[in-house]
Amino acid sequence: MIQNKYKILLVEDEANIRNLVATMLDTAGYQTILAESCSIAKALFTSYLPDLVILDLGLPDMDGMDLLDFVRKDSLTPIIVLSARTNESDKISALDRGANDYITKPFGSGELLARVRAALRNNRFSADEGKLPGGRFTHKELVIDYDARQVFINEEEIKLTQTEYNILALLSENCGKMMTYASIIKAIWGSCVQEGSIKKLQVNMANIRKKLGDKPGEANYIANELGVGYRLNT
Amino acid sequence: MFQYSFGVWEHITTVFVFAVFLISLLTDGYLYGVIAAFIGTISVNYAFTFPYFALNFTIPVNLISGLVMIAIAVLTSALTTKLKNHEATKAESEKERMRANLLRAVSHDLRTPLTTIYGSGTTLLENGDAMTEEQKNMIITGIKEDSEWLIRMVENLLSITRIDSGQIKIIKTPTVLEELIDSVMLKFKKRFSAQKVEIEIPDDMIIIPMDAILIEQVIVNILENAVLHAEGMTCLTLSVFTIGNRAVFEIKDDGCGIDQKRIESLFCGDYTPEDEVVDSQKKNAGIGLSVCATIIKAHGGDIKAENLKDGGAVFRFTLDTEE
Repeated sequence: MIQNKYKILLVEDEANIRNLVATMLDTAGYQTILAESCSIAKALFTSYLPDLVILDLGLPDMDGMDLLDFVRKDSLTPIIVLSARTNESDKISALDRGANDYITKPFGSGELLARVRAALRNNRFSADEGKLPGGRFTHKELVIDYDARQVFINEEEIKLTQTEYNILALLSENCGKMMTYASIIKAIWGSCVQEGSIKKLQVNMANIRKKLGDKPGEANYIANELGVGYRLNT
Repeated sequence: MFQYSFGVWEHITTVFVFAVFLISLLTDGYLYGVIAAFIGTISVNYAFTFPYFALNFTIPVNLISGLVMIAIAVLTSALTTKLKNHEATKAESEKERMRANLLRAVSHDLRTPLTTIYGSGTTLLENGDAMTEEQKNMIITGIKEDSEWLIRMVENLLSITRIDSGQIKIIKTPTVLEELIDSVMLKFKKRFSAQKVEIEIPDDMIIIPMDAILIEQVIVNILENAVLHAEGMTCLTLSVFTIGNRAVFEIKDDGCGIDQKRIESLFCGDYTPEDEVVDSQKKNAGIGLSVCATIIKAHGGDIKAENLKDGGAVFRFTLDTEE
């Protein structure tokens, strides 16, 4: 079954962290390809075509953002960014340039593997279903029927407004991916972030979360990252 | 002559000396005092001493009273200037002292977990084969716990530098209360999964301008503080309510309460020698709470701790909500 393992390209210059993450991934049954610099990573990416890239943003030869651009130029391979930076603006710019998710150092193995699974699943999901949402999205008790534009929890219909449905559908198409405020606003209202548009999104999101029965601090359907965006958990 | 009507003819020099003294005392630097002294000397000499309405410095009495006035001006100015400088440096050194206390406490506290981690690492490498599975697990758990502790400590230090880098003012972004609490609880549960927290927040959507990362840190610090120090706690409550345009955050426990002597200095981050004997987690509480106070003050809010009548403690802080 060796051939069926997911291949993960790990780009990290710090040897200790590289070994650690490689061990975490190996024991979870993934095949890891290691790169300690941007240039090696580019070569390895082209020859191995990995299923997922885990990328440290602070690399010695080039900023990790360059590799992000390189990968995004002609592939949709999910990218998870590792970063010691806790600054929201760094996270947002990495996400807006095509990263699927990010993990802030320090992190535990449970956290890392959950993100890896989510990113791989998300990629499979959108690859299977194509860009146009058809059929159904199911996760735990939540069911979204894209054709009927209906949402169910425990087979009971949840009444959402047009906008609320559009937001939820967008998040579900990108489940497992952290969506920034800007990307959601652009997709739903077709506009750039303006005065009050984030607030409009927050109000809608508060309603959606309430209707889905999400409670603060529980394992909810929709996760929020303060100042960054939202993600539909998988 | 109007001098007679005041009846201070003989004391006129004293009156001028007093005026010079007051001017020196109430103005900054030497300049005004010395100018006043000169004017005083000249006017006394000109108008009030023999020969009247003429300057004459050859009479020793006039000369001496002039010199005395100038001396008083210079000395008083010197004294007040020194006093003012002293106050400024005192405020500065107070800040410096707090920072030094914090640094000392932190570097002392960093050594303890580092010792565990370093020691455990070397032990596992060198004697790992001879250990039972149980022993290994114990050592590894120690590494994990102490690193968690280090992470929290570093997070607190980062928060301080985020404010302390001075010129950079806190950047407030409108934050939805519910999302804040959600984020706080997820963070808190990662470490204390067993501790249940009752949450009471208003149903309405409340938006508060804040640096969310810092406020998150404040609430997590206070919650963790309760778990670590409120002995005998059975119920921990986090509630938020609004009064006018202020949001009040309350973290209540029914544990052992706070020592009345400590309650005053709880938020100062004081590091006294007697603290050194208590275990390291207790001291971290002090640092955590002084970080809380710094953050809330930087937001223009208030923070307070109180003991409850029927046992336990409550921490309360306020923030302005959006209009």
